[in-house]
Amino acid sequence: MTHNGRIGMAIAMRCGVLRTLMAFALVAVASAAMQGLRAQEKRGSDPQHQLPLTWDRWLDHDEISERLRLMERTWPDLLTLQSAGKSYGGRDMWVMTINNPRTGDEADKAAMYIEANVHGNEIQGAEVVLYSIWYLMENYGRIDEITRLVDQRVFYLVPNVNPDGRDYFLDEAGSGARTGHVPVDSDGDGVADEDGPDDLNGNGIIEQIRKYVPGEGTHRISHDDPRIMERVFPGEKGDWVLLGSEGLDNDGDGRVNEDPIGGYDPNRNYASDWQPDYIQGGSMDYPFQLPEARALNDFMMARPNIAGMQSYHNSGGMILRGPGAAWQGTYPAADIRVYDELGENGERILPYYNYLIIWRGLYTVHGGSIDWTNDGLGIVSFSNELWNGGQYFNSPLLQEQQRDPDSPISGQRSRFFFDDFLEFGDQYLEWAPFDHPIYGAVEMGGWKKLSGRVNPRFMSMELFHRNMAFTLYHADQMPLMTIGDATVERVGGNLFRVRVDITNERLIPTITERGRQNTVVRPDLLTVDGNVEIVAAGWVRDKFRPGPTDMIDQEELDRILVRSGHPGRTTRTIEYLVRGSGSMTVRYSAVKGGTVSTTVALR
Amino acid sequence: MRSAGTCGPRAAVGVIALTLTSVAVLPAQTAAYLDFNGLTRELRSLAGGSNLARLRSLGTSHEGRDVWLVEIGNTAGAPIETRPGLLVVGNLEGDHLVGSALALETIRYLVTTDDEGVQQVLAEQVVYVVPRLNPDGAEAMFNAVRYDRTRNGRAFDDDNDGRVDEDPPEDLNGDGIITVMRVPDPSGSYMVHPDDARLMKKADPAERESGAYTLHWEGRDSDGDGYINEDGAGGVDLNRNFQHAYPYWKRDAGPHMVSEPESRALMDFVIGHRNIGAILTFGHSDNLVTAPDSRGELADASVLDLSAFADASNADIFDQGVFRTAQQGGGFGGFFFGGGGGGLPRLRGAQPGRDNDPDSGRRPATTVNRADLKYFEAVSEAYREITGIEKVGINREPEGAFFQYGYYQFGVPSFSTQGWGLPQAPAEETEEEAEQEEQPPAQAQAERPQGPPRSGQGPPRGGQQPGRGEDAQGVDAAILEAMDAAGIDAFVEWNPYAHPDLGDVEIGGFGPYVVTNPPAQQLPELGRKHGEFVARLATMLPRVTIADTEVTNHGGGVFTVRVEIENTGFFPTSLQHGVVSQSVQPTMVQIQVSPDAVLTGDAKTSMVQKLDGSGSRHEFSWVIQARQGSSVEIRVRSQKGGTATTTLTLR
Repeated sequence: MTHNGRIGMAIAMRCGVLRTLMAFALVAVASAAMQGLRAQEKRGSDPQHQLPLTWDRWLDHDEISERLRLMERTWPDLLTLQSAGKSYGGRDMWVMTINNPRTGDEADKAAMYIEANVHGNEIQGAEVVLYSIWYLMENYGRIDEITRLVDQRVFYLVPNVNPDGRDYFLDEAGSGARTGHVPVDSDGDGVADEDGPDDLNGNGIIEQIRKYVPGEGTHRISHDDPRIMERVFPGEKGDWVLLGSEGLDNDGDGRVNEDPIGGYDPNRNYASDWQPDYIQGGSMDYPFQLPEARALNDFMMARPNIAGMQSYHNSGGMILRGPGAAWQGTYPAADIRVYDELGENGERILPYYNYLIIWRGLYTVHGGSIDWTNDGLGIVSFSNELWNGGQYFNSPLLQEQQRDPDSPISGQRSRFFFDDFLEFGDQYLEWAPFDHPIYGAVEMGGWKKLSGRVNPRFMSMELFHRNMAFTLYHADQMPLMTIGDATVERVGGNLFRVRVDITNERLIPTITERGRQNTVVRPDLLTVDGNVEIVAAGWVRDKFRPGPTDMIDQEELDRILVRSGHPGRTTRTIEYLVRGSGSMTVRYSAVKGGTVSTTVALR
Repeated sequence: MRSAGTCGPRAAVGVIALTLTSVAVLPAQTAAYLDFNGLTRELRSLAGGSNLARLRSLGTSHEGRDVWLVEIGNTAGAPIETRPGLLVVGNLEGDHLVGSALALETIRYLVTTDDEGVQQVLAEQVVYVVPRLNPDGAEAMFNAVRYDRTRNGRAFDDDNDGRVDEDPPEDLNGDGIITVMRVPDPSGSYMVHPDDARLMKKADPAERESGAYTLHWEGRDSDGDGYINEDGAGGVDLNRNFQHAYPYWKRDAGPHMVSEPESRALMDFVIGHRNIGAILTFGHSDNLVTAPDSRGELADASVLDLSAFADASNADIFDQGVFRTAQQGGGFGGFFFGGGGGGLPRLRGAQPGRDNDPDSGRRPATTVNRADLKYFEAVSEAYREITGIEKVGINREPEGAFFQYGYYQFGVPSFSTQGWGLPQAPAEETEEEAEQEEQPPAQAQAERPQGPPRSGQGPPRGGQQPGRGEDAQGVDAAILEAMDAAGIDAFVEWNPYAHPDLGDVEIGGFGPYVVTNPPAQQLPELGRKHGEFVARLATMLPRVTIADTEVTNHGGGVFTVRVEIENTGFFPTSLQHGVVSQSVQPTMVQIQVSPDAVLTGDAKTSMVQKLDGSGSRHEFSWVIQARQGSSVEIRVRSQKGGTATTTLTLR
């Protein structure tokens, strides 16, 4: 009774209940949705949404909360909304869990953790996360691959890691919103956050200030476009000086805007290669000092089944992986191969995005979140920098024009052209005179806060969908263990040779090499239950040819530790020499790849 | 098996005195090591009996014990939180109870002494004392079976096998303590030390030596995994859980920096009290008896080889279960099938992008800044003078130690001492050794390795690189010699034992707590001396005052206001490294007029990066416009040196 553990034939046993993990069976689970599916298909390709939502606005924390609750109410069988804690400003740190309890407990399935908006001004990632929840739910039971993915995996979705910063960016002045809102005494006077920018003219925008100083300035107005301020060459004189952001000397100490809200980088507060402030500005005093980082790290550390992680930032069009600093060396070769395959397919899924190593392709980051999840939690982690300015003029012809200095879309002019013709001037505020209490007669104006790093709203759908698609691909490649039927061969008397194929169906190993080196992932456990004495156990080198078996030199052969985990897209054959009778159950348990087992009768 | 009765006296090894003894030095001093309840009682009594001290809890340990803080200062003066502060922390390592005893005695000294200098200190400065950061670890000293437990109460899977705390050491011979087992084994690496039959050394085949023993901590392989005592109680050594030179991924260092409730409670306190201008910790590392050398490096680490050898018996545990067996690839599922089917995909890898310089960027300092060395030397000298301690026993590599954070990241003078000296053995000394010890500290300093200062910077060690601590010198023989000479029964003789799994073995070795803690009867005197030292250290804190003022009337409501500020303390308002690390704010001087009223001269809000001590001065002057006869206030704020204000009348 020898046969291979073909996909679909594998039997998984979890919590004593036999069930299959494979797609065709899972679609049956969702049979209720099938009725609706057939009805839709008759009407063509346009699905009838259960929850029609629009995606052309940027939502603040209350609106995000409302949308999350609405989705949880709409799909209560699969969605669970919880708060992982509170931000410094008292806002909930929302985590939406997608899990189908009918296909197993959360802890028994590999989980994908997806977060966004660590920097308060990098807002569009939150919408990508919301869109991902919505898309998965709308298409569960409609698209087979989506149904399979939702049934096989768990998703933890955090739309907004920095809700204080996001609300400050969207609902308030919004200048310098990268930081969170833990108070920092930036000017050394013993008082924190007492002198930030002020919206002096009450238009809701923190503008730039320029002053006309004929022949004494550092800037001049461009001949190409009067809206462009150019820095003059050394030795030349301009007619304008730039005096910083709109604001006052709030604390009367003779300095303007010298201690704004916060003043740190929330993505430098994680615990791998964390460095103090003088090495890495804005890192705060110790890792996970920030309530937001701490709440989410506690959440992740309590869920060792998280095997994939994505942190959405903006901008530049990048698919980033660690290490964040060159002095951390390179990742182990086995891990690089996994990252490279994911990253390169990411470049195909996401035009205008490059797969890069953080320190080499962007800049050095110490104590960033994905370094921590890779090094400290053994999670394969990416950070996408959403939106690439190359997408403004996205044909080869237009990109050639951009390189022609005489073209109206060359250099800085491209941004004005785009704003004039595609956004109808919505993103630029013309310079206007203002009588400033300290600087006197000045002008204020400039680009609005949504311009530049945040994609134009009308281009959101493609950005949301493509980034989601890459992350779902990443999630699909998390380890997925299956086990074949055991083969039994009687050697003589009650001595049997039992062989079992154990397979990881996907690219990512159950334990990354870095995770093994740092001993941060529980080893996989290969256990045997039954009335048997295990004489020997070993890995079969080639099950189709005679040859050696690599003996396992461990004391407890009914509980073999596999510290190096199970590599991706690989089948290994374990061979037991056992003495006994009755049945024998072989179980393979990987915290990041699930638990599978097979039972065989010894006869 | 030997009876517990005969082993009992040895078990005590002079460590725990069960009675409270009154000693002449100070009233009601404690000549005993105290458990949590005992320490709490003493702290309550001291704080309750004095209006100089206030007791509060910084937080609770894993097992729910309070991490106590005592704030000592006379509240009649300037607001406590603005005063120059000295922080004292003890018992970070669980087995270092002498630290909490000395911290307790320091509190007692400060609140009971009638020394006028101390009273002056408490009127102008504040001393914060955290006597026992690791109450869970310390409590293990009072268990029925004792061993040197440094770790806190986090349940931790030391061997990462999916089972927690399942294989602790066992007291096989029933003597109440855990020592070492030496197991005759021709394939073992260790041999009896040729110089002292009590000690073991690693056999060196190049010296024609061959090993005859393996060494383990006393106990059995409780979980049947082939390893003995690889996963006992406790998780994190709190003095390895802080941010400087943190030993990443080491088993007793915690999952990450500041991961523990106890270390986090301390950090939150420290960053909430940036008036702290100096730190003293009691711990296993030393930079007080021996100050940093001319290159800014601390004295070499030293360890007990016997303990290190026993620790190493499970060193290969993480190699177990690492399988590199050839695998069968196959065509598998998922969105992309390109990688399957036997052939591996051709990968071009991550793109260069900007292709940044791998060597760019600043590196953290790893040696004491040369400009700061003299302050460390002066404090070290004061420490030796007051305590008489000249020689330490083991000296642990301070990876992730709190006092190192204090200097390298908090930017203040920060110290660690074991709190007692290795007993001197004058009779055993050679003339040469005696000469060296009599040398004044400055000369002793010169004897230490000289050389061009190193860069003093470097990337943090990460990953799997071994720590310097693993190369530390074994000092077993020297310690044993000194202990013998001082009459301290530090060593449990090897005695045969029939081990149920290993056969005939011998059990013996250093008694727990003996090498790291002095006999309890020494505590009152050591405590008083450390109280005096703490008071001395507090007097060294920077103290910024307004030393001189002058108003010049130019007529027509125009005045020049000149102010000289002075640092009357010993330490500068910021060490050089405090400036370099941007962790100490500049001293701010502000004239309280509208910014418009400052016509010329210094800015309304002016800063001086650092002001040296010992009476150094810095002058500011403003030309202001104001009404004749009105008054103007000058405010000085030094983060570490206190605040000062003065009001001048313009005439």
